[in-house]
Amino acid sequence: MVDHEYEPRLKLEAVSKTFAGTRVLHDVSLEIAPGEVHALVGQNGSGKSTLIKILAGFHEADPGASAIVDGRPRVLGDPDDIHASGVRFVHQDLGLVPALSVVDNLALGHGYATGVGARIKWQHQAKAAEDALRAVGYELDVRKLVEDLQPVERTAVAIARALQSAKGTLSILVLDEPTATMPKAEVQRLFSIINTVRDQGVGILYVSHHLEEVFELANRVTVLVDGHRVATECCSDLDQRSLVDLMTGGVVDAARRRSAPTGGECMLSLDGVSGAEVNGLDLQVRAGEVVGVAGITGSGREELCSLIFGAKSREGRISIQDRELPHSRPDEALNLKVALVPAHRLRDGVLIGLNVRENLNLTTVRQLVRHAWINVGEDRRQAANISQKMSVKAPSLEAPIEALSGGNQQKVVLGKWLQTSPHVLLLDEPTQGVDIAAKAEIHHLIDAAADQGVAVLVCSSDEAELERLCDRVIVLRHGRTVSELVGAEIQTRRLVHTSLGLATETDTQGGVGNDLE
Amino acid sequence: MTSSSTSDLSVDTTTKTIPPSQNGAENDHSAPAKLTGYLRLDKFSGIYLAVLLIVVFSVMLPTTFGTLDNARVIAGSAAIGGILTLAVAVSMASGTFDISLAANMTFSICLLGKLLTSGGIPWGLAVIITVAVGAAIGAINAIVIAGVGVEPIIATLGMSSVLAALAYWVSDGQTILLDGVGTAFTDAGTATIATVPITVLYLVVVAFGLWYMLEHTPFGRYVYAIGSNPQASKLAGIKVKRVQAISLMATSALAALAGVILTMQLGAASFGAGAPYLLPAFAATFLGSTQILPGRFNVRGTVVALYLLAIAVKGLQLQFPDLPWIKDMVEGLVLLVAVSVTARAVRHRRNR
Repeated sequence: MVDHEYEPRLKLEAVSKTFAGTRVLHDVSLEIAPGEVHALVGQNGSGKSTLIKILAGFHEADPGASAIVDGRPRVLGDPDDIHASGVRFVHQDLGLVPALSVVDNLALGHGYATGVGARIKWQHQAKAAEDALRAVGYELDVRKLVEDLQPVERTAVAIARALQSAKGTLSILVLDEPTATMPKAEVQRLFSIINTVRDQGVGILYVSHHLEEVFELANRVTVLVDGHRVATECCSDLDQRSLVDLMTGGVVDAARRRSAPTGGECMLSLDGVSGAEVNGLDLQVRAGEVVGVAGITGSGREELCSLIFGAKSREGRISIQDRELPHSRPDEALNLKVALVPAHRLRDGVLIGLNVRENLNLTTVRQLVRHAWINVGEDRRQAANISQKMSVKAPSLEAPIEALSGGNQQKVVLGKWLQTSPHVLLLDEPTQGVDIAAKAEIHHLIDAAADQGVAVLVCSSDEAELERLCDRVIVLRHGRTVSELVGAEIQTRRLVHTSLGLATETDTQGGVGNDLE
Repeated sequence: MTSSSTSDLSVDTTTKTIPPSQNGAENDHSAPAKLTGYLRLDKFSGIYLAVLLIVVFSVMLPTTFGTLDNARVIAGSAAIGGILTLAVAVSMASGTFDISLAANMTFSICLLGKLLTSGGIPWGLAVIITVAVGAAIGAINAIVIAGVGVEPIIATLGMSSVLAALAYWVSDGQTILLDGVGTAFTDAGTATIATVPITVLYLVVVAFGLWYMLEHTPFGRYVYAIGSNPQASKLAGIKVKRVQAISLMATSALAALAGVILTMQLGAASFGAGAPYLLPAFAATFLGSTQILPGRFNVRGTVVALYLLAIAVKGLQLQFPDLPWIKDMVEGLVLLVAVSVTARAVRHRRNR
């Protein structure tokens, strides 16, 4: 635990950063003790990424900042000096090579052991890889390809590689959103890895949007708001509500709807739908109903929306109202008023290179044509209306989409589809990588859509989100529905248990995710 | 690109990953943006440079460069290459491309020559057939690229070779003289309207049509969407393959049209005439994507780039008449520089 007898492993002082005349960090200081997990929280745009980029040496801090690692002053802004001091980073994308094995991925950071004629000693190498993983308290088949691993296993490999490359001198491990794509069950396995590393006296800087993780894992938490450090507190002195208050200055996501509508027209109907993971799934979603889909990685949850919309090919029948939706035809889905907010925002959602207006109007641009020309005024007006309705924060409608924060990009993707007045709204991880305020706004927009009679299907690895949003949740395992929860039965803890296939669900009270209410 | 510098938050609003490159790129961009605020160098640098070149060359070469005749020559001779350049831009905008278009141009010239000399086909019909065959070649490219999924460079490289063979077969490797076709045909390539060469008119018509299509119709919006992110476009309900197929067909039809106009201008179906147009067309297209609407293959930018290149080449040729290699050198360098600039801009965007 935090013991001030020891000298801190990392001490950052007076870190400021100015971009183009705008100060995004104001005199931020941070101290991490040996064996401490120090959480860094704040909404998008609060400056946490900038702080980490400065520590990593990607950005230079404004003059006056200092960094001390294990008592020695280091040069902020010099990646090599920081690296030499044993600070390591595991970014959200992990930086692994998916098509190579675990052995290769670990060796890439460290070098291969070679024998006569520069031949790689594979056995030796495999053993080294196993040892490296054991150092983080993990075991897996090191000959597997990284792309075949589960998210938590990949993260384990990335952490093992960081540990290995520091050659026993790891001082600080920075984990940036390590659980963003991880189901809750795997998060627990990640925590045990982190605890193993922590027990070696390493200081850990843990960046996460998930506050329940902060409370479960961290000793202390530093809160950034608009580039200012507003607090550094022991986690035991806080609860979720007070932490959210610190981050936002008020509770943001209190409202919830649970007026389960009945008797609405059946808008979406799946009959024996199968894909790579989903196996013969039947499902109905009625108008005005919000149906959630829970399940761990590989359960079929991740591909369900893509199968329905036609992004992936499938078998089985899907009907929208009483009209059949052919497979692999997203254009037909659009015609039948189906909308998809995909999970990978940058890959499948936004169009980098087009501006905010063009992104917003992409699905409805045909309706803007007057006398064979796109009407410039209509084009702007429509984009302005929807972005105002969704409170998209953008420098202007003509700004490139990449100038927006993740949450605002996600609102643009959602807005693009709400403009089509869809009958069926498919949401795949709708708030992934989105800050709390934007998340609450997106949730409200989903509520509003359902109130207007849209049939909503939400696939999410965030069980608390399903609890917040849904009238009904189906839990998938091995591509099939194993359980269906309705109304008050939908509780985070219960969803986690069912997803994992644990038999008992006795403790339904006080699940960590419930505290937000 | 500069509009990004106006958003102070763009730097750290993505909390997810630390980009591997470009540190403080916003800083780099904001300083020039301020310096050049009113001139908008980011958009109009090509126009300023063209004006500067005209002034400099006119002062240096008042009798050869700084004449109206020379202006007409530049305007007219760049027009045919210009149509081919716009053809390149159309397919590039939709995220695919076609290097067979020069071979297509050559083939169209030979085919037109054959049609005009061997049958009793009126020249108007022969022109229509030639352009239609060009579009059909584009359809085959589209089937191979969008349908089968072959990389555009391989597919159109193969098509280039096939078209070169067909051109040879049709023309016997000979330039076909078109003496008997009549003056109406050659007039259509050499006439002037109010002293402006008619080829410029063709370029203006093509440019206007493409500008309308790309910037003022939903189809054009889809073209740019696909050029930016085909996967996300597909998931927005856009028929990606169809849009790409239409762009590829437009590219090929325009290449054939360029061949037709060249034949009209020369009064002969010159075998192998298309090949020299390939590199300058790509050079001007890439340069064009840095102008007017930076980051996009756009019509107005392409026309600016086209004439900038033509002015530079012509001026240098007149200044250094002993250096026959100067055209290739300029065009090659422009291609390398323009591609480097666009590649850097694309990487910059992807990494944010």
